[in-house]
Amino acid sequence: MARIRTPDMNQFVQAAQTQVRRNLTRAQRGLDILLARQEPPVGATPRDVIYSRGTLRLYHYRPMTDEVYRVPVVCVMSLISKPWILDLTPGQSLIEYLLRQGFDVFMVDWGVPRPEDKNLKLEDYVLDLLPRCFEQVQKASGEPDYTVFGYCMGGQFALMHRGIFHDAPVKNIVCAATPVDMERMGLFYRWSDRRFFDVDHLVDTMGNIPPDLMLRAFELLRPSERWFSYVKLLDNLWDPMYVYGYRVMYKWTNEQIPFPGEAYRQFIRELMWENKLMTGQLTLGGRRVDTKAITCPVLNVMAEHDHIAPYAATAPLTSIVGTEDKEDIVLKGGHVSLVAGKNAVGRLWPKMADWLSVRSV
Amino acid sequence: MTDQNGRTDVAQTWRSWLTETERQWNSFFNGVMGTDSFGRLMGSYLEGYSLLQRSLNQSMERYLNTFNLPTHSDIVELGERLRAVEERLTSLESGLNDLAAAAGVDRSAASITPLHPRRTRRPRNQTSENS
Repeated sequence: MARIRTPDMNQFVQAAQTQVRRNLTRAQRGLDILLARQEPPVGATPRDVIYSRGTLRLYHYRPMTDEVYRVPVVCVMSLISKPWILDLTPGQSLIEYLLRQGFDVFMVDWGVPRPEDKNLKLEDYVLDLLPRCFEQVQKASGEPDYTVFGYCMGGQFALMHRGIFHDAPVKNIVCAATPVDMERMGLFYRWSDRRFFDVDHLVDTMGNIPPDLMLRAFELLRPSERWFSYVKLLDNLWDPMYVYGYRVMYKWTNEQIPFPGEAYRQFIRELMWENKLMTGQLTLGGRRVDTKAITCPVLNVMAEHDHIAPYAATAPLTSIVGTEDKEDIVLKGGHVSLVAGKNAVGRLWPKMADWLSVRSV
Repeated sequence: MTDQNGRTDVAQTWRSWLTETERQWNSFFNGVMGTDSFGRLMGSYLEGYSLLQRSLNQSMERYLNTFNLPTHSDIVELGERLRAVEERLTSLESGLNDLAAAAGVDRSAASITPLHPRRTRRPRNQTSENS
């Protein structure tokens, strides 16, 4: 005869207590988010501005060790988003990690383009602003050479710069989530199809591309993500670590910046439509970007599930550079979790630091 | 989904379902948005958006001119002039710094204390090999 199991009262009470506690915490943290209370600190690593021009700022992060590697690391950001993704929050900051590992770190922050910046072209960034920043890095560090770390479009800038200035003393190039084969950009490539997309009309009318338009385009890549993220947040509102991470990433995602109009026109025409970086036909200011002339060590870090710069678009990077010392690293994660957040701490950062350390002496 | 004691974990099952549903919805939408017709729709939307923006800008400019107030173009023009002044100042400052450096004068800002760590660090494996 089967015995009927009576429920364990202690277990039931414990479960009920846990749920009540969690719901109270949920209510408190929910209010924190709604009222924007206790915002997590972002981009908090101590730094000094050593050069500025227009909206551009060149930061030198204060070293955290008495002894650093000889070659400084210069982080170059994309034009699409705020640079503090690389210095997310204490304990989850790539910059902070590199400093603790003994690197001397600089950062090129393009700033938030103003309406009058609509005329800035890729030439301004690659032929003028970037070389000025590198000069300042040389002055500040006292070293003739430097490593360039480019994230997303920043990686494209690094390739363009070294592909034009063949004698630039670039010791190493590290590209993270950097698309080069734009025909494999998935939905972005389809949406910018020249049959339907009149880039000239858009740029001539708007000047800079408004941040809201950029944000919506990114969101369309994963249309249900925002709504599902709210459900997941509600489920995890009791967990302080989850809420902290969510708030930081939410802040970054929503702090979208405008894209300078002329640079956007070039980006669509030359890179998206003509795929000129990939085919070696890109010219800036009459000078050809010859990526085959890049002979310094190159590290290409890609994310397996990157929906913004898909793996197929980033993978060919090492095939277009001329160096023998090149390496591809494919990691789990997406476009952002590749470089920031708690997953990056164990995945990318140690690998990158190891690769750089032997090439930074 | 079962826990260590072989019991079904309802919460975990729900979370897995949520993740899978999100993936499927995204995949469905991506399929729809990857078509030519969606591309055409998006192109038309952007064209309409630009036209609306242009007409709004023009009428706003007319109103502001009527009331003798600065328009967006005036502010942009002012910004461009400021930018040119800033560029000149930067180039003058840079020239002065070069002159000062040639004369052996330290012009680093007083508020910034330059940190000069030794640049002799070696990778861990090389350090252990040497020692």
